Amino acid sequence: MKDGDDTSLQQARCGDRDAFRVLVERHATAVFRLAYRMTGNETDAEDMVQETFLRAWREIRRFDGRASFGTWLHRICANRTVDFLRSRNRWQPAIPPSGPIATEQEHDPFRNLPSQLPSPERAARSAEARAMLEPALAALSEVERAAFVLRHYEGLAIEEVAGALGVQPGAARHSIFRAVRKLRRALEPVGSTSL
Amino acid sequence: MIHLSEEDLILLYYGETGAPDFAQAHLAECPTCRDAAESLARALGVCNEITAPERPPDFGRDVWMQLAPQLGSQYRPKHLFPLRIWLSAAALAILLVAVFVAGRLSRPSPAPVMAGLSDRARERILDIAVADHLDRVQMLLTEIADGNGGGTGSFDADRERAEDLVQEDRLLRQSLASRGETATTNFLDDVETVLTEAAHTSDSAAAPYVGSAQALGELRNRIESGSLLFKVRIVESNLRNEDQKL
Repeated sequence: MKDGDDTSLQQARCGDRDAFRVLVERHATAVFRLAYRMTGNETDAEDMVQETFLRAWREIRRFDGRASFGTWLHRICANRTVDFLRSRNRWQPAIPPSGPIATEQEHDPFRNLPSQLPSPERAARSAEARAMLEPALAALSEVERAAFVLRHYEGLAIEEVAGALGVQPGAARHSIFRAVRKLRRALEPVGSTSL
Repeated sequence: MIHLSEEDLILLYYGETGAPDFAQAHLAECPTCRDAAESLARALGVCNEITAPERPPDFGRDVWMQLAPQLGSQYRPKHLFPLRIWLSAAALAILLVAVFVAGRLSRPSPAPVMAGLSDRARERILDIAVADHLDRVQMLLTEIADGNGGGTGSFDADRERAEDLVQEDRLLRQSLASRGETATTNFLDDVETVLTEAAHTSDSAAAPYVGSAQALGELRNRIESGSLLFKVRIVESNLRNEDQKL
C-alpha cells in the first residue's frame, strides 16, 4: 500500500469524497497502464480507468485490506477489462499493425528502448516487432491476455493472478503458458535478431 | 537425459514454484535446455520493452474531474436500502397477518381492530402493497438493465436487494392467490423468477468473473426481451389507478 493510503482509505470508506480523490489521483496512472496493456487502446483504457474507480467507490466498504489498495484496484480493473473485451469480442490496438512507420513514432511502444543500434535500424526492428506483437496479442483470448499482463507486466505471482481473475491457479498457469507460447512463436524472430 | 519442458522454463523465467527440483541444476549443465531458456527470455524480453503511453502529470486530476459527477448520484450507502426493505417487509408482514386474522375471525367474532375494514378495503391495502413492491422491482430491474448496478457498479448490492424482493414477492403472491387474483398472481410469479435469477447472479468486483458477465448479460436480455419492465410499470399503474378510482 502506498504511503498515506491508509488514512485516505479509512476516510473514503466513510464516504469522504475528498479522501477518495486522493486515492484516485495517486493510482490513476498505474490503473491506466494495466488497462492499456490489456486493451491496447488509449481511449478504451481511459474508459476502464473511469469504470474501475467508479466501482471501487461503490465497493470500498467491502475492501478488507488483505491486499493493498493498489492490488485491489488492479483486480477490479482486470475483471472489468476482461468483461469489456469479451463484450466487444476483440482487442483493438491503437495503431494498425500495417501502418507506416513514420506515423507510428508517437505511439511506438519501443521508442524508449535503450539500444546501441543506430536509430533507423532500431526503428525498423521496432516496427517489425510491433507488427508481430500486435497480431499475437490480438490472437490471445481475454483470459490469456489478462493472465499474461498480470504476470508479466504487473509482476503478480500465479496464485495472485488466479485470485484476481477468479480462476483456479492451474487455470491461470495454463493461460499464462498458452499466452507465452503464442507470443513466443510470434516474437522469437525479433528476439533472436536483437542479440 | 530428460530435458525441461517449455512450461518448466516459463515457471523458472518468472521465478514461480512448480518446476522440478532438479530444474536449476539441469539448466546449468544442459546446453539444449539453456539455449531454450535463453530463446524464451529473448522473446519475452521484447515484451518487456513495451511501455504504455505516458500520461500527463495531472492525469489523476482529469480522471477525478470526470469521475466526481458520477459518484454523488450513484453512491449508495449499503445499509440504507436493506433497512428500508426490512422495514417495509416487516410492515407488510404485520399488515398481511392482520388481514389474514381479520378475515378468519370476522364471521364468528369480528376483531374490534379490523371490524371496520371491509373486504374491499383489505383488497385496496393489498393492491397498494403490490404496487409499492412493483415500484421497488422496477427500480432494481432498471438499474440492472442499464448496467448501473451490474455493469459498472456493485451488483452484489443489487443481488441483496433482489433476495429481499423475492421474499416480499412471495408473500404478496400468496396473498393474491388466496384472493383469487390469478392474473396478478401469475405476473408476480414471472417477476419472482427474474428476481430469483438476479439473486443468484454473481458479479463481485474482485471475485470470480468467469460466467458472471454472461449470466448478467442473459439476465439483462431477459429483462429487456420480455418487456418485463414495461409490464411492471403497467401493472403498477393499473393497481394505483384502481386505488384512485375507489
